[in-house]
Amino acid sequence: MRPLGPNSVFSHERLPQAPLEAAPARNRVRFLALSIFAVLLLLAGRSVQLAFSGDPLARSHSASAATSLPRADIVDRNGVLLATTVRAWALTAEPAHVRNAVETADTLMQHFPGLEREPLLRRLNNTDQTTVFLERGLTEEQRDRVVALRLRGIGVQAEHHRDYPQGALGAHVIGFTGIDLNPQAGVELGLDEEIRAAGQEGRAVRLSIDVRMQYALETELDAAARAAHASGGAAILLDGRTGETLALASWPSFDPNRIGRSTEDARRDRVAGDIHELGSTIKPFTVAMALQENLATSGELFDLSQPLEVDNTIIQDHEPISGYATLRDILARSSNVGAARLALRLGGARQRAYLERLGLTSPTTLQLGRRQAPLAPAAQGRRDVAGLGFGYGLATTQVSLASAYTVFTNNGARVAPTMLALAPDAPVERTQIFTPEVTRQVMVYLRAVVTDGTGRAANVPGLLVAGKTGTAERLGGAQGYDESRNFSSFAGVFPANDPRYVIVVALDDTGAGETGGLVAAPVVARTLRRIAPMLGLRVEPAAPAR
Amino acid sequence: MGKITLKRWLQIGAGLLIVVLAVGLYRAKSDAARTENEVHRLNGEIAEREARVRELRADIAEQESPARIEQLNADRLGHVVGSESAALPENQIANRLPAPQPEEQTGRE
Repeated sequence: MRPLGPNSVFSHERLPQAPLEAAPARNRVRFLALSIFAVLLLLAGRSVQLAFSGDPLARSHSASAATSLPRADIVDRNGVLLATTVRAWALTAEPAHVRNAVETADTLMQHFPGLEREPLLRRLNNTDQTTVFLERGLTEEQRDRVVALRLRGIGVQAEHHRDYPQGALGAHVIGFTGIDLNPQAGVELGLDEEIRAAGQEGRAVRLSIDVRMQYALETELDAAARAAHASGGAAILLDGRTGETLALASWPSFDPNRIGRSTEDARRDRVAGDIHELGSTIKPFTVAMALQENLATSGELFDLSQPLEVDNTIIQDHEPISGYATLRDILARSSNVGAARLALRLGGARQRAYLERLGLTSPTTLQLGRRQAPLAPAAQGRRDVAGLGFGYGLATTQVSLASAYTVFTNNGARVAPTMLALAPDAPVERTQIFTPEVTRQVMVYLRAVVTDGTGRAANVPGLLVAGKTGTAERLGGAQGYDESRNFSSFAGVFPANDPRYVIVVALDDTGAGETGGLVAAPVVARTLRRIAPMLGLRVEPAAPAR
Repeated sequence: MGKITLKRWLQIGAGLLIVVLAVGLYRAKSDAARTENEVHRLNGEIAEREARVRELRADIAEQESPARIEQLNADRLGHVVGSESAALPENQIANRLPAPQPEEQTGRE
């Protein structure tokens, strides 16, 4: 540009003085030069900006690297899908744009028979709101149908929907969410934060349950509850070494995909949400406490032939043990008198301390939506202490009972149950309560319950099941308890030669005479027959049915 | 004269270089924008397919549920897995339970 500029040396030396007409041309050239300079400056600025603004591809890639979901998938310990988030559509309306609310409502009702006319019209005429929801959870086919209708002001909106592929299986474990994916029950509620966080990271939440064992436990509980005309049932299977819950069943059950059609009674979790007086399933702890405190020995003989009077209350056995009895007999024949005498030796303070350490006086830590706190008032006198010795005066959940029974699978230490699958080398917190010698001794007695005592129906040839039956009368009779309504249960540990698993089965509101040994113990045997191979345990083949 | 020509050629060359750089930058930017759009489109497609995969996985889990497998096993192969009590009418369930032992187990625990 310089040769053409006004200050050019050459222009003075070589060219004659520029004529006056050339001035506008020079200005144009200057203007052009400035314009080009400005454009180049802009380009330079933009190139600097691009140079320092990073890679746009990398940015968009990182934004879509993880497909985040509002709620993560829930899978069982083997990766079987239990709950997932799928696409769904909502039928929406913009009332301000709806041309004829009546005609629109009629047309929609032809395609969605579930819609009710009055509420639908009310929503279509609700011009205070920009958008209103008319129906949720539409399928892809329904969405296409709505689009094809081309109704003015009517549209569909994409949303997420929680789907439970296993249907009613494990319903009380998994729980369910509301239409807006707000958790309502089960691990959906108990592990809500974990499920949301996992959803953001695009990973699944792995539970400790195994759907195969879950199915076996549920079907056996269902069959037994119907046969016993029970009002409810609860069952739980734990890996007693780690606290992992392998199966957890409540009866009656429900389908979380059709939550609107279920009753509140069916949705109730009876394992961690219902409390009951435990009955005789607490007796092994009474015996263990006495052994631990050196208040009794395995060879000691007790005269249990007569009822025991404590503070004007008579404690007796339904079938008094004639002659002398040992600790083994107290458990095998489920003697209330024997357990009461041991409890009285122990005293209220020590008994309470043991019950607290066994986790029977505080709510469970299991990650379920409903965790019912136990009803565990402090013993007011000798009568209460004696009653606690054989399972009265303390109401707690079946999951707390199962957790307490883990002392027999951990050499006297208790582990807290969990719904999450643990890594093989994961640390497990254990609370030492009894010495290994004491729990081994009590295990011998629990095995005797199944071989010679009240729990014979729980026996599975080849598996060495140990456990204790329990039958607690329900409150409600004229004298406080109703003899015709029982809470019948069985708490077991297996295999007895290398205790690892804990199973508790309970049936609520069974009839008179339907003891734990008659209605709950068979459920344990039948369930264990089915699941033992899944646990790598061998059982002897069942005798062919006649 | 030669010096002037050289300078002029240098200036023209510099100008051309700038123009080439500008055009190159414009094209690079256009390509980046086009690629970005393509990435967005692919992301949308991935999301769509992932949603479909999720639906199919849910469907597979439903088809493979233990209850359905056991039902099919019983219906088509005539096998009854594990318990004989499952899915029986109530009156038959009672018959299949172990026989009560009244003389031995009438006591309440």
